[in-house]
Amino acid sequence: MERGTISAVTTVRHPPAGFPDEPRIIGLITLDGGSSVIGRIAGISPRIGDRVVPRMSMERVNEQKLRAYDVVYEVAAPAALQEDPFVFEGYILALTGPSGVGKSTVSKVLSSALSGIVTRVPILTTREPKDGDDGEYLYVTREEFIRLEDAGALAASTRIPSVSEDRRYGYRTEDICKIWNEGRVPLVVTEMHLLQGLARSFGRRSILSCGLLPPGTSRRAMLSQLLHRLRTRGRDSEQSIADRVRNASSDLDFFSHRKELFDHLLVNDDIDAVIATLKGHVLRTQEDTR
Amino acid sequence: MRLSRIGYTTQEAMNADVFLVGSGQTRFGEWWDKSLPALIEEAVSAAITDAGITALDIDAIVIGNMIGQQISGQGQLGAMTSALLPHRPPALRVEAACASGSVAVHTACALLESKRAETVLVVGAEKMTDAENTAIASALMGAGDSERDAPAGLTFPGIFGLIASRYMHDYGLTREELSLVSSRHHEHAKANPYAQFRSSVSPESVSSSAPVADPLRLLDCSPISDGAAAIILSRTRKSPLRLAASQLATDALSLAERPTITSFAATRDAFCRACEEAEIDRKEIAHLELHDCFSIAALINLEDMQFADPGQGIGIYRDGLQEMSVNLSGGLKGCGHPVGATGVKQIRDLAKQLKASKQRFGAAHNFGGAGATCCVHILEHACEP
Amino acid sequence: MSFGRYLPIGRITTEEIAKAHGQDPAAIHVGLGVEEKTVPAEGEDSFTMAFEAAKQATSLASDVAGIQPCDISAVYVGSESHPYAVKPTSGMVAAALQVHPFCFCADLQFACKAGTAGVQIVDAFIRSGQVRYGLAIGSDTAQGRPGDALEYTAAAGAAAVILGSSEERHALCRIDQTLSFTTDIPDFWRAQGEQFPVHAGRFTGEPGYFAHMRETIKRILDVSNSAMADFSHVILHMPNAKFPSRIAKECGISKEQLQHGFIVPRIGNTYAACSLLGLTYVLEHAKKHQRILLVSYGSGAGCDAFTMTMLRDGQPLPVDHRIPAYMDYGAYLRRVTASAH
Repeated sequence: MERGTISAVTTVRHPPAGFPDEPRIIGLITLDGGSSVIGRIAGISPRIGDRVVPRMSMERVNEQKLRAYDVVYEVAAPAALQEDPFVFEGYILALTGPSGVGKSTVSKVLSSALSGIVTRVPILTTREPKDGDDGEYLYVTREEFIRLEDAGALAASTRIPSVSEDRRYGYRTEDICKIWNEGRVPLVVTEMHLLQGLARSFGRRSILSCGLLPPGTSRRAMLSQLLHRLRTRGRDSEQSIADRVRNASSDLDFFSHRKELFDHLLVNDDIDAVIATLKGHVLRTQEDTR
Repeated sequence: MRLSRIGYTTQEAMNADVFLVGSGQTRFGEWWDKSLPALIEEAVSAAITDAGITALDIDAIVIGNMIGQQISGQGQLGAMTSALLPHRPPALRVEAACASGSVAVHTACALLESKRAETVLVVGAEKMTDAENTAIASALMGAGDSERDAPAGLTFPGIFGLIASRYMHDYGLTREELSLVSSRHHEHAKANPYAQFRSSVSPESVSSSAPVADPLRLLDCSPISDGAAAIILSRTRKSPLRLAASQLATDALSLAERPTITSFAATRDAFCRACEEAEIDRKEIAHLELHDCFSIAALINLEDMQFADPGQGIGIYRDGLQEMSVNLSGGLKGCGHPVGATGVKQIRDLAKQLKASKQRFGAAHNFGGAGATCCVHILEHACEP
Repeated sequence: MSFGRYLPIGRITTEEIAKAHGQDPAAIHVGLGVEEKTVPAEGEDSFTMAFEAAKQATSLASDVAGIQPCDISAVYVGSESHPYAVKPTSGMVAAALQVHPFCFCADLQFACKAGTAGVQIVDAFIRSGQVRYGLAIGSDTAQGRPGDALEYTAAAGAAAVILGSSEERHALCRIDQTLSFTTDIPDFWRAQGEQFPVHAGRFTGEPGYFAHMRETIKRILDVSNSAMADFSHVILHMPNAKFPSRIAKECGISKEQLQHGFIVPRIGNTYAACSLLGLTYVLEHAKKHQRILLVSYGSGAGCDAFTMTMLRDGQPLPVDHRIPAYMDYGAYLRRVTASAH
């Protein structure tokens, strides 16, 4: 069992009889020894050039309960983006945090404080415009959203199902690339799934990722602060607030479980302090990437 | 990278004149009420009528078919077809996956050149709609490598999905560009009364159709179809249409065994040798019917036949080609692809195209699996003096 | 001579399980001391994990001591979740690794001490001169019935050790003494055909784990003429964090001694792999001349004890760069039911 590199990859949507009835990622892998092999690939969004590691796996069970084991290939390290012909040179400033922590406010103030450097990336959403929305959203129909997603035009997308409504959010790759082409830094105000999607699309190292936490030293205190803010901002129904707090709880878990997705964690109790810190990070990164 | 075959001698021309005296086919499509024998009978009758001969004039039958045994439970297709004719001539079945039809033609040529027969009926037939999709998918995977490809759960579209993913990576082909291929084939099929699909399909529809084996979508893939086609070849009955070349080449079954997956060695070899056998240059070909089991295959085959540079095949679909028609019948995508029938139907289509355009040479390219078997025929139409 | 391990990348936290059952995670933390546990992926079973652990061990053995898989002629796999009731995991591992064709193989079952029982058997084969190198593996994809307390701790993993003569040049650690203590008590069992085990509540504590561990520890110290303080590293079977901590206090084992092998809070109880897994962590960190005490426990019941001495400094294993994948209870339940035989 040798390691190898992915030479070609496809997702078989309808595997043949005897295999589990779900999409199956299969690749042509060039092994380090020189030969090639066809095998299933385990991993999210594998790409040509990714290094893979062999792993023994129970692939199927026949009618007589005999198990068929085979070697599957796990993505070890994603291919260096330098090899991708569509590589860009730039990074994204991402602000992540639970609903109500104050991301939109911070992003608005920051983009005016850094108006020469930073441009906000519009978020596509299928939800209805609300009072209090201030130009950060681009409203599309559900069909249009799905069409864009299927066409691969979205750098990241997520779906937030809730009792009251089924909302989708995403970023268009072209919006981000356009900002880079202008020599500016895209700023996204985002949540955990979108952040993961961006990390996958552009590489973790292309994101200057800042997590925003509500004030309060204990989790309970943080959650009650969020609850208070959501109520006072008056934009949401009670049901929607309950949903958001539930999501917020798992957002807070996200900070501790996915530490590797964040470069900095900031507590948003003093907006000026937060803006000053963020400005510092951006300016330093500009220096570093010059 | 063009690999050259080391050590083969220049192909000699055919040692007998093989004339195409008649042809016939069923329309390709979903024929719920027609069995495999019924489809064969329909095509054979049409061919005999078209040739203006009687059934008794046929000395031998070669039939190409891939999955009759598995899906219809019917082997012995040679004997079965032979029983349709009152005198039950000698008959055999050949199989080479999607190249079964052209390999049947190639076999018929051998029977004629060796003088074992004077007039041979060649049939290609397939019945695919009588089983559910998973059974068909498994049966079609017989075209792949059962030990190297099938255990991982690869399907036939999956094989070409791998090829397409690599091709796009190497040459930057975009999804929008690839969609031009199927769209063009459907456009051509509109004029073909025997085609399964006779309406336009926009490139946007292709791009947004359901994914089958990413990056390939439903409309990049030739369909499951029922159908049969038959031609009659003779060395004693003359006709203005003559087979100038019949060449067969093979390659490793599995992509894992090939030095590159964005070029088909069997296409290169068979086509090259066919041009040599017919003593023509590719530029003399007025009509090409090529094997577009998947849209990406059309591009690669065009490049392997050197009608375009590697990575540039899409140019032919984007800008069109003045000197030569490509898949004027609609190809596999537009006409449908009853596996064994395609290779035979391609010869019939070339005959029609040459008669209409009064041009001299047409070429039919048919391959099986991912180019594991490739058979190329060149048809010559004697022009009025 | 060498060692290896394999842990699935799936994880589920105590919080997540407690939330699903409406229980208070804080109380569970206090009671069991387990924060999260490993969850096998869809294609993982006791064979695939045993193979991966053994592959790591043979890789290390090849790099450090030039031992090839074909030099191994004994393979014993202990588990309470062998893929088949009849068709040996050890045979499959032997074939997949391509060990010597004339190889002693069998599968073992003795609840959580099946892995260490394998070590004792291979140890005996080597001492008797019948085998030059042998492989002992503990591997499990144990699961608890949803809603049962075992659900918080029953985890998946595998550990493998390659044994050979301690006279050999590259020998890493010598087994000085081993003994076992065995009784018949119904503290925890799983009947043929049942998917989930049954445990006898508080009975698993005092008459079960504690009594057996106490007896065995006393005896091994006696027989090896040692005091607890002589051991730099102590590994105890860890059904949860509380049981081993309690027996440790009773027997005068310090936190420092337990430190490297005390893996249960982040991994859970990997049953037949448990104490061997703890051993793999110790073997990475221990220094030459340091002594190790390992006492495993299997319900039903019995204990295996080993005293060992490091012959050279410990060897780090390759770092596992895979990122643990945390799942919610729904996803976890689907995995558990999907893996059901």
